[in-house]
Amino acid sequence: MHGPKAGIHGWGAYIPIYRLPLSEIAKVWGWSPEQYESLDVVEKAVASSDEDSVTMAYEAASNAIKRAGIDPKKIGAIFFGTESKPYAVKPSATIIGEALGITPYTMASDMEFACRAGSEGLRSLIGMVDSGLVEFGLAIGSDTAQANPGDVLEFTAASGAAAFVIGPSENASAIVEDSVTFVTDTPDFWRRATQPYPLHGEGFTGEPAYFYHIENAVRALLEKTGLKPGDFDYAIFHQPNGKFPVKVGKGLGFTIDQMKDGLVTPMIGNTYNASALMGLAKVLDKARPGEKILLAPFGSGAGSDAYYIRVTDSIEERKALAPSVGDYLDRKVLIDYGMYSKARSIMHVIK
Amino acid sequence: MAMDLSISRFWRKKVSVYRLYGSRCKACGKVHYPPKKACPYCGSRDLELIELPKRGKLLSYTTIYAVPEGARPKSPVYFGLIDLGITKVVAELTDVADKNSLKEGIEVEAVLRRTREDRDSGLIYYLLKFRPVMVHR
Amino acid sequence: MAVYIEGVGLTKVGRHYSLSIKDLAAQTAFNAIEQVGGPEGIDYLIFSSALAPLQDNQLDIAGYVSSYIGLRGIRALNVEAGEASGLAAIAIAKSLLESHQADKVLVIGAEKLTEYVSSKAYKQLQMLYDSDLRSFYNIGFAGDAALLMRLYMNTYNVDRETLSYWPALMHSNAKENPYAMLRFAIKPDKVSKSQILADPITLLDAYPIGDGAAAVVVSSKDVVKTPLVKVTAIESSTGLGGIELLDDPLIFDSLLSAYRKLSSIADISQIDFMEIHDSFTIVAPIILESIGLAERGKAPELIAEGHFSLNGDKPLINPSGGLKARGHPIGATGVYQVAESALQISGEFPGIKVDNAKRGLVISLNGLGSNSYVALLEGV
Repeated sequence: MHGPKAGIHGWGAYIPIYRLPLSEIAKVWGWSPEQYESLDVVEKAVASSDEDSVTMAYEAASNAIKRAGIDPKKIGAIFFGTESKPYAVKPSATIIGEALGITPYTMASDMEFACRAGSEGLRSLIGMVDSGLVEFGLAIGSDTAQANPGDVLEFTAASGAAAFVIGPSENASAIVEDSVTFVTDTPDFWRRATQPYPLHGEGFTGEPAYFYHIENAVRALLEKTGLKPGDFDYAIFHQPNGKFPVKVGKGLGFTIDQMKDGLVTPMIGNTYNASALMGLAKVLDKARPGEKILLAPFGSGAGSDAYYIRVTDSIEERKALAPSVGDYLDRKVLIDYGMYSKARSIMHVIK
Repeated sequence: MAMDLSISRFWRKKVSVYRLYGSRCKACGKVHYPPKKACPYCGSRDLELIELPKRGKLLSYTTIYAVPEGARPKSPVYFGLIDLGITKVVAELTDVADKNSLKEGIEVEAVLRRTREDRDSGLIYYLLKFRPVMVHR
Repeated sequence: MAVYIEGVGLTKVGRHYSLSIKDLAAQTAFNAIEQVGGPEGIDYLIFSSALAPLQDNQLDIAGYVSSYIGLRGIRALNVEAGEASGLAAIAIAKSLLESHQADKVLVIGAEKLTEYVSSKAYKQLQMLYDSDLRSFYNIGFAGDAALLMRLYMNTYNVDRETLSYWPALMHSNAKENPYAMLRFAIKPDKVSKSQILADPITLLDAYPIGDGAAAVVVSSKDVVKTPLVKVTAIESSTGLGGIELLDDPLIFDSLLSAYRKLSSIADISQIDFMEIHDSFTIVAPIILESIGLAERGKAPELIAEGHFSLNGDKPLINPSGGLKARGHPIGATGVYQVAESALQISGEFPGIKVDNAKRGLVISLNGLGSNSYVALLEGV
């Protein structure tokens, strides 16, 4: 049985200008280089002191709308996936919607599912578009990923955003042909409301969480669609570091060749809700009509989605309408741990 | 509760400051920002709201170290005069990694950023700032 | 119709931690009142303060000062026009006298800027500029003038070091003025090397943060007994007030307009000296160019060559040391300018004396010209 279908009309990403080399973190906390070299990440993207998940979402979504070429007022739902909301209570989605000229006749909400909240928004919109509830919807994943300073998580927790305008299959750049979601109660990573940083179960985040959920979601999608790993041109997985996505992909039967274009974490770290979705944006920047993409975001707590996406003819005309992920990857300024502490409010400044 | 930032004063202006809405005078044709109730040039009240271009040229700029209270964590503050073609605006500048990169005539583009935050209540003002334009292949 | 200044009180601009705004007001008011032989006949108090609600947590400052200085029952009103408040207060006093609403008006300009830390003063002084947009940003008090300074330097190809002759000249004048805050000489090359406030504006390019008060008694022709000077005419004009709104930001539109109005009602050709509003180094040349005392882009060069100074041709500019070095207690400044000019014309100014000074011009404006006031003072 095929699920509902919808199209990706526009895609957009945002990566802040600053990059912190992992060696800076190691220097401050006394780690040896081997500690971070094994993560296969060189630098992480750091949002400036005037940025947050909302401002990054604004730019990624603005790029997506430019590519979609639609009047923002046609967007009937904004789903904002993040685990770094500026306000614990008060929707971020309304700020984004107002700034982009989407309000007032739209649904708008902030989703929470650790790193796959943005993907939950994406999958929800497929159904909402297919049912006719909305003509277009905006799904965003954006995070100024937090980590306890000195925790191993600090090496990879990075900032970035990705956004997609979802609409009818007609005239779409790519069509989401099918999708599956697989979730269980698995406490591998969490943050209580008053804690500034998320904490994790260390090795428990691996096998019982990341690998178990992605593997099950992807296998279920392959079974449902009758496709084999070799049928896809690209495979994109959630990327907490450079190692995990390659390992999970290989285990499922995908090759490095299929995975390399969707990897962004090795260059900029783990942007949490934007992690796999930015990989998709990067692949769409390159993909040719007719190519097939497998996308598998993951969120702790825990769950994974698996999508089968097919690129259409109209992708080519959309590519140049906004900056590519590559443009943002190229735009970078290296900073030290002091600047990073200032940018992310790790140092306490009395205003 | 101590609160330094006004909720309503910002809320009233949100469309203008989020989306760079200015006013065009139907009598003399001049554009100004943010919108007033009459044209500051000819006095006509026959105005229309227009969305201004979000890209322009930097005419002048400064790096402010004598920052007002509340701004210490974001110091220094970059501020510029920008020519949008149909009108000029002033705005904070951002993503200035090296202040020597600020030069007259460079292209700048509007991006949404945080400007002020209330110390006790945490209310945030989001505003358009301008940054040197991204190279877009 | 001219009105007459017959009593003057001045306090040194500075950090008066031991005195409140009301104490400063009292000190200067008592001096001015003493010179006119006592408070009898004074029938109006015009107060001038812009920051009293913020620095002193006081509204109706004029009402409260009246009883604080023993004038309970007098009619009293505060006048606020930002940095131009002081000269606006004199203008209001003149109108009251001319319309026979009063015969003898006590004008007090007083301001505290040091009741809080400087970052709070910077935030309050940001209010001198249009709050519609700027209040959502973190610009402080020097951002707009910094944009203007760079624009001026680039447009006219004037270098930073040439502009530095202005603050050096002001310090040199203020050295002789007992009411000045910064009574020390500086070399021009020191200006660019001092602490940067808002690039290219340095600490020595900006007015100092200080408290002060000045008072004058202004009388009508009918009651004046011992006039120091007559206030022949005052004019004012509003302007766009924002560097972004002006097609030509290097001329203050409101000042040009006020100056033209004044020249249409009074002869302002033979001026011996001026007290102008040099809040920042860059504001001085733009004022001089706006009123035609220098060709556009040429004022800094003239200043560097020694024009406008004691050894130059008339008019001499800012014998007091100006806002730059005498100091700029916002709402009090215009009253300082008038009080010092009155003493200059009557030959009693205890600082730099202008030879045979008969006619002086006072220029005051808010921000970059939301409001400009121009006054002509003449000997009697």
